[in-house]
Amino acid sequence: MAERLLFFLLALIVVSTAVGVVTNRNPVRSALLLVANFFSLALLYFLLSAQFLGVLQIIVYAGAIMVLFLFVIMLLNLGSPEPATFSEQGYRRPLAWLIALGMFALLVSQALVVAGTPPAQADPQVGTARTIGYALFTEWSFAVVVVGVLLTVGVIGSILLARRRSA
Amino acid sequence: MVADYAPLLLLFAIAIVIALVMVGGSWLLGPRRPTPAKQSSYECGITPVGSARERFPIHFYLTAMLFIIFDVEVAFLYPFFVILRELPAEVRTFAMGIVGVFTLLLIVGFLYEWKKGALDWEDPIERRRLQPTAEPNPQPALQPVSGEQ
Amino acid sequence: MESVPLSAYLTLSAFLFAVGAVGVVIKRNPIVIFMCIELMLNAANLTFLAFAKHQPTLQAQVAGHVFVLFVIGVAAAEVAVGLGIITVMFRLRENIDIDQVNLMRE
Repeated sequence: MAERLLFFLLALIVVSTAVGVVTNRNPVRSALLLVANFFSLALLYFLLSAQFLGVLQIIVYAGAIMVLFLFVIMLLNLGSPEPATFSEQGYRRPLAWLIALGMFALLVSQALVVAGTPPAQADPQVGTARTIGYALFTEWSFAVVVVGVLLTVGVIGSILLARRRSA
Repeated sequence: MVADYAPLLLLFAIAIVIALVMVGGSWLLGPRRPTPAKQSSYECGITPVGSARERFPIHFYLTAMLFIIFDVEVAFLYPFFVILRELPAEVRTFAMGIVGVFTLLLIVGFLYEWKKGALDWEDPIERRRLQPTAEPNPQPALQPVSGEQ
Repeated sequence: MESVPLSAYLTLSAFLFAVGAVGVVIKRNPIVIFMCIELMLNAANLTFLAFAKHQPTLQAQVAGHVFVLFVIGVAAAEVAVGLGIITVMFRLRENIDIDQVNLMRE
């Protein structure tokens, strides 16, 4: 019962902050709502017995990535609210609603397929850094190297982009 | 499962309650006699200058970006060092090879950013931007100053 | 103790994903569009973890967690390069309305 209560509480926060991110016209407020969203998602990860990823979610997403977002907002001086210019592109709103409802209906219909799944009990070892580390460096070792390449490309690419000014 | 985290939840609850009591208490009980000095934003006792919405130098972005990448790289390395001693011998050699390749890639990225001067706070390119009259090379202009020492 | 059913997590993540998709379509500030993409990535992560909990073997459960770790890594690289592109875009033209970015078309 406590788990369900906690889930509904966190789901409420997740849903309301996600809607807030999209509806808010001020990018800084969107960013701060996104922090709240990531944080409550991290707590949901704990509910799903993924402790290591929950902590990582807070460190990487709620910490580092959000700081970067705020930096760029400050850097480019985009903090001012965006003007309400949806009227000149009237087709966008209906299109967005169509996409949203279609996607939601499709995904929920898939969720209903698994509605009868018995509530499984996760292995107590599953969420620890120990188990994840073992899987990472044995079964998924090639993917780790690929991610290493990707991160290196990220470093080089963003330095190149940031220093374009010299050209 | 939730019961395992009961102390943590209790800590969160206590923290929220204490914060609410402190803010709400001073809001309820404190006298309010606003003066212009009290109303202005707090800048360590100095009169605020300019707007808070200024454009930052791009260095802040670059540093934060590099921090994220290396943050994630450490997140990948951390589980390895947790299990390092528990791995069977033959798996350990393999895993160490993988970590070696991963770290090599990390070092390549690090050397690149070092060589490109992304870690120097005052790099010549940034200085050139601050002086709009495009000097061909800003380095010689600074040469006499250091030469006199 | 009653645990949360799998379909509840999936519905939540479907909602998150749909909200993110709407944001990508209707928003014009590229940084907010990026945030909406992060919302969608996190919806995918939530689905991975929800399914992972309902797998029969430990190996299958851990696979879901490993995938989430990879998604976090990819998202970090994507954010770093993507925000770099946004700064370059802004430097080229002070206006950063996403509808007016058509450099690739010219």
